[in-house]
Amino acid sequence: MTTMQVLFLFFAAIILGSAIKVVTTKKMIHAAFWLVVALFGIAALYAMLNAGFLAMVQIVVYVGAIAILFIFAVMLTRKELLDKGAALNNNKTIAALISLVFFGGLLLLLTNWSGFTKMAPDLPEGDMVAKLGEALVTPNAYLLPFEVASVLLLAALIGAVYVANEARSE
Amino acid sequence: MNLSETVNTGYFFGLVPLLVFFPIAGMLFNMIFGGKMSEKAIGTVASAASGLTFVVAVLLAYSLSATHGELHQVFLAEWIHIGELQLDWTFRVDTLSVVMMLVVSGVGTLIHIYAIGYMHEDVRFKDDVRRFRRFFVFLNLFIAMMMILVSGDSYLMLFVGWEGVGLCSFLLIGFWYDFNILGQKSTENAEAGKKAFIANRVGDFGFLLAMFTTFWHFGSLQFDAVFESASHHPDPVVISAITLFMLIGVTGKSAQVPLYVWLPDAMAGPTPVSALIHAATMVTAGVYLVVRSAPLYNLVHSTSYIVAMIGAVTALFAATIAVGQYDIKKVLAYSTISQLGFMVAAVGMGAYVAGIFHLATHAFFKALLFLSAGSIILGMERGHHHLAHGHGDHDDADAHHDEEVFDPGDMRNMGNLRKQMPVTFWLYMAGTLALAGIFPFAGFWSKDEILLDAKLHAEHYPGVYWLLAAAAFLTAFYMGRQIWMVFFGKERTEVAKHAQESPPVMTVPLMVLAFLAVFGGALNLPGSHALTHWLEHTIEGVHAGEFDFMVAGVSTVLALIAIGISWLLYGKNPLKAGQIDPLKKPLGFVFTGMENKWFVDEGYGAVIIRPFEKLAKFLSIDLDWNFWHDWFHNEVVYAGFQGLAKFLADPVDMGIINAIADWLAEITKRSSEKLSSLQNGFVRSYALSVLVGVVMILGYLLLK
Amino acid sequence: MNQADFYSLLPIIVLTTWSALLLIVDLFIDDKKKGITAVLAAAGLALTMGLTLSQTGQTVIGFNGMVILDGFSTFVNTLLLFSGLMAISVAYGYIKRRGIERGEYYSLILFSIVGMMLMAQARDLIVVFIALEMLSIPLYVLAAIDNSNAKSEEAGIKYFLLGAFSGGFVVYGVALVFGATGSTAFAEIAASIATGNAETLLVLAGAALILVGFGFKVGAVPFQMWTPDVYEGAPTSVTAFMAAGAKIAGFSALMRVFATAFPDIAVDIAPVLAVIAALTMIVGNVAAIAQKNIKRMLAYSSIAHAGYILMAFAAFANPALRDDAISAGIFYLVAYAITSFGTWAIVISLEKEDGKGLAIEDYAGLGRTKPLMAAAMTIFMLSLTGIPPTLGLIGKLYLFRVVVEAQFMWLALIGILTSLISAYYYLRVIVIMYMKEGEPETVSESWLTFTWGAMAVLTVVLSLIPASLFAWASGALMK
Repeated sequence: MTTMQVLFLFFAAIILGSAIKVVTTKKMIHAAFWLVVALFGIAALYAMLNAGFLAMVQIVVYVGAIAILFIFAVMLTRKELLDKGAALNNNKTIAALISLVFFGGLLLLLTNWSGFTKMAPDLPEGDMVAKLGEALVTPNAYLLPFEVASVLLLAALIGAVYVANEARSE
Repeated sequence: MNLSETVNTGYFFGLVPLLVFFPIAGMLFNMIFGGKMSEKAIGTVASAASGLTFVVAVLLAYSLSATHGELHQVFLAEWIHIGELQLDWTFRVDTLSVVMMLVVSGVGTLIHIYAIGYMHEDVRFKDDVRRFRRFFVFLNLFIAMMMILVSGDSYLMLFVGWEGVGLCSFLLIGFWYDFNILGQKSTENAEAGKKAFIANRVGDFGFLLAMFTTFWHFGSLQFDAVFESASHHPDPVVISAITLFMLIGVTGKSAQVPLYVWLPDAMAGPTPVSALIHAATMVTAGVYLVVRSAPLYNLVHSTSYIVAMIGAVTALFAATIAVGQYDIKKVLAYSTISQLGFMVAAVGMGAYVAGIFHLATHAFFKALLFLSAGSIILGMERGHHHLAHGHGDHDDADAHHDEEVFDPGDMRNMGNLRKQMPVTFWLYMAGTLALAGIFPFAGFWSKDEILLDAKLHAEHYPGVYWLLAAAAFLTAFYMGRQIWMVFFGKERTEVAKHAQESPPVMTVPLMVLAFLAVFGGALNLPGSHALTHWLEHTIEGVHAGEFDFMVAGVSTVLALIAIGISWLLYGKNPLKAGQIDPLKKPLGFVFTGMENKWFVDEGYGAVIIRPFEKLAKFLSIDLDWNFWHDWFHNEVVYAGFQGLAKFLADPVDMGIINAIADWLAEITKRSSEKLSSLQNGFVRSYALSVLVGVVMILGYLLLK
Repeated sequence: MNQADFYSLLPIIVLTTWSALLLIVDLFIDDKKKGITAVLAAAGLALTMGLTLSQTGQTVIGFNGMVILDGFSTFVNTLLLFSGLMAISVAYGYIKRRGIERGEYYSLILFSIVGMMLMAQARDLIVVFIALEMLSIPLYVLAAIDNSNAKSEEAGIKYFLLGAFSGGFVVYGVALVFGATGSTAFAEIAASIATGNAETLLVLAGAALILVGFGFKVGAVPFQMWTPDVYEGAPTSVTAFMAAGAKIAGFSALMRVFATAFPDIAVDIAPVLAVIAALTMIVGNVAAIAQKNIKRMLAYSSIAHAGYILMAFAAFANPALRDDAISAGIFYLVAYAITSFGTWAIVISLEKEDGKGLAIEDYAGLGRTKPLMAAAMTIFMLSLTGIPPTLGLIGKLYLFRVVVEAQFMWLALIGILTSLISAYYYLRVIVIMYMKEGEPETVSESWLTFTWGAMAVLTVVLSLIPASLFAWASGALMK
């Protein structure tokens, strides 16, 4: 077993363990924190795959923004942080079954994938982040999705402001 | 509407859809906005729509002459594409259709303008001003339909227009559907409309059969394609059948023997309608149809002879009836039938140009005569109202009584109107001389051409000439009789003394028509033969005939003699109030026959309508109700079934069939409720459903 | 960015700019005069429509193959812009009446249309996904725009959550396809599959997951569960826009993706789509019977109609029929958009300020009090059922023809049987309008009247001359 494999198994265990905790813990706020741990683990996996930039983005966006948003949301909307209701409901059996089948399907799919037996293509030379940045603003690469995403964010922003706003009563 | 094409070529063929579009636009405009518009505005819009149509027709005529009369087909839209039947909305611009367009829209526009004045008063006499707008809506619709009729490139498109004008005719004959022709409350006018519609339906049935046969044998309804296949068709029976079926349509629409009976009744419509639809345009559609189908008629001589004979017989027959009529419009109506007979006879003999020539001149002078007659009737009405108001104060009941019996269209109530209505008199004179065929009025040239052809072809079409010549003689006679009775002698009623002249909005269009009635012969003068040369681009094998002084001389002399006799009878000793017609004595029962339209309506009643009603009664009451329903149904079927039904109902139906039906309905309903109950409102359930879908799809695709 | 790039997206760029400017301009418009914003938004749509139509018949590929301008996109975009105009027309008086008139309403509609148009022009899975979000997010907000009303908020949040959930499947699918083919561009995906370089299973799975995302957008079974709740909860003017716009965009993307990116696996996907179509028709039509609220009934009806359009995809397996299937599909979309906007306009006319007047029973007596409106409603119901002389019938005829030609007899049979079932609940509306006594109150507002009047006329008139419209739809092919 190489060091990389050991590290991978370690992070994988952390991710899986904390992911299970996310759905099983009774306290919402704990679930949010476990989520942060799982997201960190994924960032670590990115880093191991030489995707340093993605790892950074993962931490900044998911941990820094989204997870924190969860925590705030939980803290602002609940008086008690302990969730009293049952965590599971009537649909649990069928849901578990479906999830299992889905998982099995993905497993089957991925075991048949040739990518596991192939070597990853060599990455091009040079500063990857700079290349990524360039690609995002080059018309022949990803300028269009990038620009549209910005418009999308504008629309989402308006929507968020609007929905969050108390209904004006005149 | 293809403007770019117009600009590119300098010709206006692309504009041809506007012929239909303008009147439709005028109609819609008046329908939508007319409610709040003044009568003048409504009339102006409608007249402008018609006038613009005329302008388009003129532009087309110009373009056509600039391109040497070549046929142009303008495609507008796909219409029916089913199997072999490939039909489009294609307009056909050739010299023939353009002549029709010019006549229809030109005369139509003048009548629109006239109608502004006429309807203004008419709706007031009948006390329902709201119908003013309706009238112009119908009139515009009529122009549009007529344009479709004359510009269509296939029999089916022609038929659309054909039915459309039939509808307009029905609507306009029954325009005062709750009155009779004397202005009393009655359903007579509505019945006249119905009669026209049914008589035309008989004719249309023939036309439809002609179309079915055509499509069956030639696989197309497009004119050129039909003519092309027909010229190679080996079986003359087929073409005879088609042309004869078509002839039935012609006798319906163009009011020929035996289907002419609707036209005199159609005079129930307002006078502009009589002029436009029932004299100048719609009724000539049958003539147009025969000319359009000339390549078919040229192939079978026997049918053309039948056509010619029907025309000639109609011409004479209707002329005899016209002699015995007292209603000013009825005389003109029978005269129209008679003149249509001239046209049909002409086209039957292959004298297509003569037929179309007479169609055009007849449109001018007959429209003129009808509109003038309208002016006279209104003049009488004005006089009548004037009197009624004068007496109204102290003799109300009497005035009212008077109103019920007075007929403003009865010539026996007129006399010496020359004095009260001088303008109308002179206009009427112009029309009369044109119709009587007096040199050099328009009718002289066109009628003469028909007579000439009849004489030339006498060996192929025996008898036609004599019938037509006799009809021409009678024409001059009854018109003379009318002139003497209406305009000369002494006023036979108080009303006639107080008749008033019509306003310029009515008389000015009449003057234009009078001009055309006088000089319309210039279209095809012997020597120049302008119309012949124009139409020879479209109709094969027409050639200018030689002017024959013999024929012209004979017909002129006949006309003059006829007028002379009429003067002896009606002019020299004017009719006095209450006096019977001087012809009654010498002619005896013959005149009674003329007076009573040879009892044709009664004959139809006895031979067709009453037996038909009897048969219907027998079928409905005896056969259907008494026998079929009462006996067979009740006794045999009902009783028999009841036994069976009892058996079927209780154990079989209630037990099995109903249960299945109920079960199906129940199951649909239950599953519907079940499905709605799945809709429990929880997002998590919905998400689960999505996931189930994903898994099932993936499962199928991966395990396949 | 060269000229072709710019030209290929010109209408979208103009509309985006217009909506962004509209946001700013709206700040200076008095709250009482938000009608001006509506007019400006409509002007923007009309301008864009003009630009779109001016591009008719052109084929331009832009942004290195990420987007394409072709007959198909021109046709669909025109239809989308028409839907946008109708959406503003039905909203104009309604949101004022409901007290939810805000300038943002119109901007959000414009943004959503930008997303829809981009969807129709997308030629790359990344663009497809972003366009999907672009059209969805404004719709989520619009559904919740009556934020003083719990039902509306609930609709918004439900739509959002489930939309995000199914959006996740799309991304997953894109990732799988990318993994299998090494590209997200349609042309390269198709080439990779055709040459056999791609992992077939992975591509199939990816395609299936992408299908799920679109299936959600158009409301296909079993991804339809949100539809009745959201349609009922959202303000009716938003529902009208959602029903037409989202469906058009979803289907056009589905057609584009499966015709140009996955043509070679169509044989495998077609049966799946056929089964989904059958289920959708059955569930939509059967469930609609039990509905008492007209909005819910129309929601199920919209599901059912999604099923009919999905039938067209069954024919995708046969390359010879693909073009026919696409033209039949978009023709049906036109028919549905016209009929549905008319129907919603009438629903809005009867809806009262407090949200009452939405039960089907409330239509009793409409035939007597508002004969014209009832006549229009009758036309729409007939069109939705597929009874002549309406556009709905013509649309169904074209669809069934394609399905039968593709040898999916059983599917055509289900389509016909479910049409029969649908007659029950559509005709019930007509029966209630004419046979039952009642005093329905209606709002007469000129733009609403215009909408249902014009749509009713279009429904009938276009059904009489379907050939030219169908010819246009047939010309709208993908390049």
